[in-house]
Amino acid sequence: MGELSISGLLIRFFLGGAAVVVSTLVARNLGEKAGGIFAAFPAVYLAALLTVGLDFSGNELVAHSILLSKGAIVGMGINILVAILAGYLLPRQGWKRGLLQAMGFWLIVSMAVVMITTYS
Amino acid sequence: MYKDLLIRFILGGAAVMISYLITVMSPWKILAGIFAAFPAVMITAVLMVGIASGSKKAAKIANGSVFGMIGGVVCVATVWTVLQVSGNWALSIVLGLVFWLGSSIIVSTLRDIIKTNRNNSVRVNILADILVKHK
Repeated sequence: MGELSISGLLIRFFLGGAAVVVSTLVARNLGEKAGGIFAAFPAVYLAALLTVGLDFSGNELVAHSILLSKGAIVGMGINILVAILAGYLLPRQGWKRGLLQAMGFWLIVSMAVVMITTYS
Repeated sequence: MYKDLLIRFILGGAAVMISYLITVMSPWKILAGIFAAFPAVMITAVLMVGIASGSKKAAKIANGSVFGMIGGVVCVATVWTVLQVSGNWALSIVLGLVFWLGSSIIVSTLRDIIKTNRNNSVRVNILADILVKHK
């Protein structure tokens, strides 16, 4: 994956967007319970994982997928904290401010994790 | 409806694209994975409900999404473990999906049971109040 290409970027943008839209449409067409489960389908992660397969094969593919999954598991832990914080902030601050603050928290915690794991 | 899908498409596409950009250009490889887990669906759902129905209902969506995210954690943990143990990429994705579905069904069922028990205890309390008042 040494070189950045416009086509690589566009393919990922299209596949990531399509994965989220398709999982949303599937969720809406299923019943309430199954739809609720599919509404939380990890489409972005799976699209990112599948597109790693466009650039690598064999051991390199496994190594890059492990690295991506390591970050994603940290990211999903942060997401749970963000969702809990958003649930607390939204009724108190209003949805616009509350959502912005929750996303600010996501960015700060993500960067803190990056700094801690990279430079410690 | 179409606005909602468009926002989801842009956020989901941007998250995967940024994850790729970070992998190629940045020394912080873990950030690529964090972006791969970007909560695009939760943000869009909160945004759309916030616009249509206000902050309290949007907060309910945010709280409800926590349960769905547990399945996501199980999916990624399964893929990671299978890759470490077997090194089989395709098998890791298939098992990740199977465990995601299994854990999501369990979490959803437990959530329903908790909700039903809570509603039942509220009904019992209301009935008890009515009986006390009539005495």
